[in-house]
Amino acid sequence: MRLKIGFIVIAMVLSVFAARLVQLQGVDPDQYAAMAAAEGSVDVILPATRGSIVDRNGEPLAESIDGKMIVADPALTTDDAPELATFLAKRLHLDYFQVLQRLRVENSRFQYIARQVPARLATQVVDEAEAEGFVGLFLRRDPVRIYPQGRLAANLVGFLGTPRKDGSARALAGLEDAFNKYLSGTDGEERYKVGAGNQIPLGDSTITPAVDGQQLQLTIDADMQFYTQQVLQQTVEGANAESGIAVIMDSKTGEILALADYPTYNNSAPDEWSPKRYKSSALTDVYEPGSTEKVLTLSALIDAGLARPRQQYVVPPVLNRQDRPIHDHWYHGIEHLTLAGILAKSSNIGTVLAADNFPKGELRRYLSDFGLGHTTGVGPLGESRGILPSGDAWTDQVDDRIAFGQSLSVNAVQMIAAVNTIANGGIRIDPSLVDGSASLDDGTEIGTDDATERRVISSEAARQTGLMMERVLDPVDGVAPLASVPGYRIAGKTGTAQRVVESCGCYDGSHTASFVGFGPTDDARFTIYVVIHDSRTGGGGAVAGPAFAKLMSYALRRYGVPPTDTKPSKLPVEW
Amino acid sequence: MSSSSAPQLRSRLPRLAEVAVQRARLTVVPRPRNRPRAPRVPFVIFVSVIMLGGVVGLLLFNTSMQQASFRETALEQQVADLTAREEALNLELQEKRSFQHVAYEAQKAGMVFTTGAACVLGLGTGEIKGTCVPALPDNRIPINPPGVEKPAALDPAPVIVRDKPDPKTDPGTKGGNPSGDGAPNNNQQR
Repeated sequence: MRLKIGFIVIAMVLSVFAARLVQLQGVDPDQYAAMAAAEGSVDVILPATRGSIVDRNGEPLAESIDGKMIVADPALTTDDAPELATFLAKRLHLDYFQVLQRLRVENSRFQYIARQVPARLATQVVDEAEAEGFVGLFLRRDPVRIYPQGRLAANLVGFLGTPRKDGSARALAGLEDAFNKYLSGTDGEERYKVGAGNQIPLGDSTITPAVDGQQLQLTIDADMQFYTQQVLQQTVEGANAESGIAVIMDSKTGEILALADYPTYNNSAPDEWSPKRYKSSALTDVYEPGSTEKVLTLSALIDAGLARPRQQYVVPPVLNRQDRPIHDHWYHGIEHLTLAGILAKSSNIGTVLAADNFPKGELRRYLSDFGLGHTTGVGPLGESRGILPSGDAWTDQVDDRIAFGQSLSVNAVQMIAAVNTIANGGIRIDPSLVDGSASLDDGTEIGTDDATERRVISSEAARQTGLMMERVLDPVDGVAPLASVPGYRIAGKTGTAQRVVESCGCYDGSHTASFVGFGPTDDARFTIYVVIHDSRTGGGGAVAGPAFAKLMSYALRRYGVPPTDTKPSKLPVEW
Repeated sequence: MSSSSAPQLRSRLPRLAEVAVQRARLTVVPRPRNRPRAPRVPFVIFVSVIMLGGVVGLLLFNTSMQQASFRETALEQQVADLTAREEALNLELQEKRSFQHVAYEAQKAGMVFTTGAACVLGLGTGEIKGTCVPALPDNRIPINPPGVEKPAALDPAPVIVRDKPDPKTDPGTKGGNPSGDGAPNNNQQR
């Protein structure tokens, strides 16, 4: 009898064990396995370091440093909230009342106190708080993106927003956004066993190493960018103008050495500025180029064999065309100008008369080859491709106006790349902002390695156009002597175009003053374009010309380009 | 036929070599009475010492590993601290050497950018190309960027007040006060 009872008890106990075994292994084995694995083990994210953005000489324009977020547990901080808030507000320059409120939030164990604090400072503050007897503050990883050069190239570089909860970057503007994947890399992971806060030496340990983001090297020369920005600011403010753009390009490679927008913003504190400034106007904003476009028209005429620099034209005071008369910017009687004179004096009437020789569609084909009406591919910074009319929209009236730079629109990078074709011996080369090659988020590779080139006009046509452009800076015969650099042969062209404003979509009487040119004329190293919108103190020669001269002089000096010791052009402008 | 002959052959074999078979049989060999027994104690001590040594060694090794782990954790923390300190110093350094700061200090010391004519010195030949001219004080450029945009409420459009001349009283004065006493002519404000 005792034996039977004993067996029954043993059977019951074993049944309980069996039931528990079925529960553990049959019902939800994965959860229990995970719980067992998690017991005493620690998962750590190994953060990938975001790649830096550097200039052509390796000067950092954007880089990441280790940062921390300071987090409070209100359940522990409520009691000492006023004292702790005072301490944090003083040490971290925070708003006292906001901190106080967060330290007292009910039914919460997690409140942000400060984010993206440099690690050194954050650690010091929390240590000091603990030393003073405060509890409930914790640190968590929160990488900090810094822009050590302040506003330098802010419109290009862009910025990151507040990181996501997992610490990953939130790219919001500029190259930071366009190359986000390229710069981000991939976070790694480490899992190991701990005991008393230390890793158990022979415990389980798995590591997936982080893959750091790649460095993005730009073609920008930071020194030159700084000077360009300051000269542009000086020019825009001096002209009481609305805004301005300045671009410097290496004539032989198409590399953009400086690209300045004004007004700009500080990408270290973007929320203090209007989001309208986050763009790069040199790429996003289009405008009528005005007379700077004449160099494209006339170079195309020479290339097509339809004109020569010394060709003679009779230029009347007014040219009555289909819908309205065409005037020049100065009052004159009947002028006897050469083709070089038409460019030197920027005659609209002379340009239209010369362009009359183009067969139908030929001017458009040339302008399209120069890159107008197409995006430059310099980077997806919201580039606009401008307007180059086609089909029925290209009427005879439009044809006349386009010949001297009206009725079409361009962005600044498009325009400098087009004029650089003349500087580069008739070969158009894609402008580049990225040195080497880098992948956009959509996988497209862009950069100097991927830049393509094509011949648009013959080298002889380019040379002759350059000689004609030299006459523009002639102190007697030209309209822009202020753009010259003493001792150097410089070719250029002014532009003073009527301006269409966004608010009404119409000409409001304001002007865009511009100057584009390159130097030395016979061995071009730099092509520079300065655009001033709504200039109140003069046109292209008076406002943009001096800025061009400063930038060209600086560039030639910085890169040690000696004068070419050749005689400047003496092409006749009148006959 | 063949199956029945095989057992008969096997049964005959012992008879054929009976003596040899008898010799080959296994038998229990009696232990010699005076053979010396191997002493057990040294062996047990030897094995115990090895085991004890192994255990103690393992314990020391484990302790050493644990100590190394503690030290590693402490050093990692130190590395993190030093890295943070280095970054903080780098930040300060970058601020000092930013273009803005350097340009400000240079301009404060009376230095300006050179613009206009440029000259180039050939290091090999010593030849100077171009025209060397000194930089002028006018070459100063604005170092400080414009400030943050103010909200419209804090930055209202300027109020422009124009005085209209009163031709009846003073045709020669534009916008002047006809009374000539210097008091503002409020009637003309708009």
